[in-house]
Amino acid sequence: METDARGAAVLGGLAEVVERVLGFLPTKALLRAACVCRLWRECARRTLRARQRLAWVSALEAGPGESHALVRALAHELEKVHVLPQTVLYIADAETFSGHEECHEQKKARKRNSKETAIELEKLLPKRCQVLGLVTPGIVVTPMGSSSNRPQEIEEGEAGFALLFPKIDGVKIQTFHFFKDLKNRVFDENKFSEAGLKNNPDLRVVLLFGYNSWKSGATRFLHQIVNPLNEKSIILAGGQVESFTSLISEHTSAQPSDACGVVGLAFSGPQIQSATVLLDQDVADERTAEAAMQRLKAANIPERNTVGFMFACVGRGYRHYKTKRNMEADAFRKFFPNVPLFGFFGHGEIGCDRIVTGNFVLRECNDIKEDLLHGYTTVMTLIHLGSTKANQV
Amino acid sequence: MSLSEKNSVVFAYESSVHGTNVLHNLNDQRKQDILCDVTVLVEDQRFRAHKAVLAACSNYFLSRIVGQLDSDLIITLPEEVTLKGFSPLLQFAYTAKLILNKDNVSEVCKCAEFLGIRDIEESCFQFLKFKFLDCKTDHQECPRKKCCTQRYQKRSPEIGNVDDADIEIEDETEELLEKECIQTPQTKLFKDEENAKMSPAFQDNTNQTCDPAHLERGNVSSSSSLCPKYRKFQKAFGNDKVHISEPSPSVKDIQVPPIAAFLEKELPDNDSTQKAQECAPMQLVSKCEEAQVKMEEGEEENKKKEETKRDSLTQSILCPVEKVEVAAFAPNSAAPHGPNSVSSLLTCEQYGDLNFTDVQSNTAIAEKSVAGPGVRSDKIESQDAAPLKMDSCPREAINVASAGDRSSVEREVAEHLAKGFWSDIYSTETCQVHLPPAVAKECLEPVYSGKKSECPWLGIRISESPEPCPPRTFTTLSSVNCPFISNLSAEGCSTNSEISSGDYVQGQQQDQCPYNYVISLGEDSETDTEGDSESCSAREQDCEVKLPFNTQRIISLSRNDFQSFLKMHKLTPEQLDCIHDIRRRSKNRIAAQRCRKRKLDCIQNLESEIEKLQNEKENLLKERNHILSTLGETKQNLTGLCQQVCKEAALSHEQIQILAKYSCSDCPLSFLFPERERTAPSDSELVIPPCMELEGLSGVTSTTEQNSCYQCVKGVCDPTYSQVQELHPVSVTTLEKTSLVEQCGQSSGITDFCQQMTDKCTTDE
Repeated sequence: METDARGAAVLGGLAEVVERVLGFLPTKALLRAACVCRLWRECARRTLRARQRLAWVSALEAGPGESHALVRALAHELEKVHVLPQTVLYIADAETFSGHEECHEQKKARKRNSKETAIELEKLLPKRCQVLGLVTPGIVVTPMGSSSNRPQEIEEGEAGFALLFPKIDGVKIQTFHFFKDLKNRVFDENKFSEAGLKNNPDLRVVLLFGYNSWKSGATRFLHQIVNPLNEKSIILAGGQVESFTSLISEHTSAQPSDACGVVGLAFSGPQIQSATVLLDQDVADERTAEAAMQRLKAANIPERNTVGFMFACVGRGYRHYKTKRNMEADAFRKFFPNVPLFGFFGHGEIGCDRIVTGNFVLRECNDIKEDLLHGYTTVMTLIHLGSTKANQV
Repeated sequence: MSLSEKNSVVFAYESSVHGTNVLHNLNDQRKQDILCDVTVLVEDQRFRAHKAVLAACSNYFLSRIVGQLDSDLIITLPEEVTLKGFSPLLQFAYTAKLILNKDNVSEVCKCAEFLGIRDIEESCFQFLKFKFLDCKTDHQECPRKKCCTQRYQKRSPEIGNVDDADIEIEDETEELLEKECIQTPQTKLFKDEENAKMSPAFQDNTNQTCDPAHLERGNVSSSSSLCPKYRKFQKAFGNDKVHISEPSPSVKDIQVPPIAAFLEKELPDNDSTQKAQECAPMQLVSKCEEAQVKMEEGEEENKKKEETKRDSLTQSILCPVEKVEVAAFAPNSAAPHGPNSVSSLLTCEQYGDLNFTDVQSNTAIAEKSVAGPGVRSDKIESQDAAPLKMDSCPREAINVASAGDRSSVEREVAEHLAKGFWSDIYSTETCQVHLPPAVAKECLEPVYSGKKSECPWLGIRISESPEPCPPRTFTTLSSVNCPFISNLSAEGCSTNSEISSGDYVQGQQQDQCPYNYVISLGEDSETDTEGDSESCSAREQDCEVKLPFNTQRIISLSRNDFQSFLKMHKLTPEQLDCIHDIRRRSKNRIAAQRCRKRKLDCIQNLESEIEKLQNEKENLLKERNHILSTLGETKQNLTGLCQQVCKEAALSHEQIQILAKYSCSDCPLSFLFPERERTAPSDSELVIPPCMELEGLSGVTSTTEQNSCYQCVKGVCDPTYSQVQELHPVSVTTLEKTSLVEQCGQSSGITDFCQQMTDKCTTDE
């Protein structure tokens, strides 16, 4: 009895001890612990606030069960993650995301199914967080655990990943969605500023994902979005995806419309540094791919608290490299041993060669408008989310 | 609030554009040479600038300028600094923009390093170097080309001879040829680039697509026969280049403006053919474009040239096949369009002439220019297709016409014309041919180095046409102070735990997702550190002076009262801030105090507990001593009793021994050992019924007055005692006849027993 009383005195009274103990808990457990008493709540709050590193959940192979591997992985791993996700970007492969039964049924049935999967997935995530979900023909993913795991290019088969961005001091991540409105032909500029893409001096990186790109006028529409953004000194990267499955932000919860459109993430914050390179058709063997990675390396972006994105064309991958698999991901790993890499194989890429840091911008300046929309290329992008003290933990 | 207080309020105005504007104005001044007080001499070129700007941007200039009293200083930069490297840097100093391209990047990098220019990060140079290096290795332009040329030269001495023979030329054609051949080597350059660029994979591809069609057409023989010819052709071409002298300046005129319209016309074509790539290998146009599609990765400029080239090529192939008239018509129709006159007209005429060539030589050219050996077969095929495509000829002719208009296109056309002409002659063994290529060869150098500004001809080209490789800008971002952003990060610092706890309760109720529990991360921690709260108190007092009421009230009021209290008083935002600050800080302080108090309490608790425990320990020790002493007494009594019993019962030594033996160490009887041991050997045979003994013993104990001490011990070791009693009958009956030797170790029995007892006593309590 005596010892219990003593333990209670320590755990109920000494904030330092409690904080240290709570520091070992994953977020969900921490939040449960926060219900114990006021002191614990305070400690949990401080602990959570200090957790500003990016986390991710990845699913690489199909397992048993009805649901998509990513859903299962997410359900399982969310218990263990050490961040409170505020923004989530998940990408899954289009083939299996909409369900396992042979997909030759009517299109309607499939769509409903993928929506269900998306909802199932969204339910797992905290209610207040912004979710952007995409499905693409292929996935590039770094296995969970260490950020130095070897990234995998999975061109077919069940796979997916979810990037969990916590609230990071000095970094703001916003989702946006523009779609072609048949009634209103003029593009509303206000939507731009609403999404933080306009009048935002700290905007650094915009990841853009076009969907329904096969629709007529999709390219023109995408140009309409991309060109004004391209005039700014920001990094633009992304690609054409199969479809987007979820988009929950603070304001809206949009559903994929039948028209073509663009969804994306805007990263703003003075501490963000980013660089991107475009691997064009010429890059077709190990040497050239590594040369491109070397170029990216030369941009000298810090590697702590940095995430790599790879947006490749479905036509690339192992066929392009003469049946050598995982070529680009390996080249990336060679030059960036500790940066996790994520991305997809899509129907087209958006990107260029560019560096944007707090101090300078390096970009092409052509009299002719630089075209950012490519095909048969790979866009490699590094985004460094700043190195504040909280990130060092 | 007094007037003086109002006056003392200080505002700061901060312009985010000022820095840029100052720089902009300075740049204007530099351009107009206003207030410039320094001249920088680089490679004999003079740059006017401002001392202050240079010194502010570069360590090197700082050290050179400081201490110089000369009002109009002239700084001559050492050789390390080149013109090409310096001028972008000077521009950077005034515009914060650095224009970099393939040619200047390494020199700019070197110069920046040498001059110690600030705010330029090495990484950008690295990035670009890798990029440009990339391009170079991809295309492998220059070295390989040279090699090829040389090789060809060596291989074909006979052709060289022919060339020599051919050097005597008709005067009339010479001039024109010169002109046109100047471009020929360039075309060759591009061709080489093109060839080099073409990946093996692509070649395979094209071969695959072509082959079937090719076989259908039954042109295998022709292709094979053409192959060596093509070789020779190239050799000769390479050879010729060796001899050439000066580039004629008149060429300049021809090649001025860019090609835009023409290209545009071509590009859509491209797109369409691109899509139909696999299915239509029959037409030369499509072939060319296909090849071109493959080459798209190349630099833009090159690409364009190639396009043009190919186009003209198509023409040159088609036309001759068609009929001389058509070919002649093409240039003629072109002539009226061509604003620049005679030269272009001449070219066109020449072109017409050229087109009289036999088909084969043209094909050879086609082969050469379009791809490499891999694509050859389909060229031939397309040659076959050419007649079918006659109707397309007018269009091409028009193209030529437009080419006449846009002279840079024309240049390309001319190249092909010249080539056609030349090859034509070559195949028909006429003598005029070889001078023009010779001219071309001399030009090769300047033409190739075309991208360098030394060559005036080149300079024009660069300025007029899209740049070979897109230059890069290097902009230093002004760090913009955006107040609203800074607000973003610092979220509301409300200290009211009521609200957050309310949230918390709510969170608890929604049980589905643990993330629901609201934890406002932005909130300041209530348990501030001591130092923090102390440091602020000074400031607090400082502010307090200006406030119309006591700080104590701010702190003591409850939340709602506080709100209404604030509404009552009209306060400036600054004061409000101050008040909120005070309140928050004091709350923090209170929280900290509470925390400290809790800690102290905790320590006190622990201390009192320690005291209690110590007391307890002392008591226990005392008790133990007491028990030990009573134990000693009991032992004594017991011994006495035993002796008495023995006497009264008049037991023999043997009996005593046996009794002692069976009573074991559990019984105090063992004290009899010493006596027994002495007597034991003699009485070994005596046997007494054990039950009697036992009875006797029990009888003794029951009859004797049991004193209190014994009672006490008995109470303590009761279980043991009863155990002993139980054991007795068993042991006695079974072990009756065991030898007495075993008894030896029992002398310590009693002490053991006592020890056991004391242990029991201490542990039980």
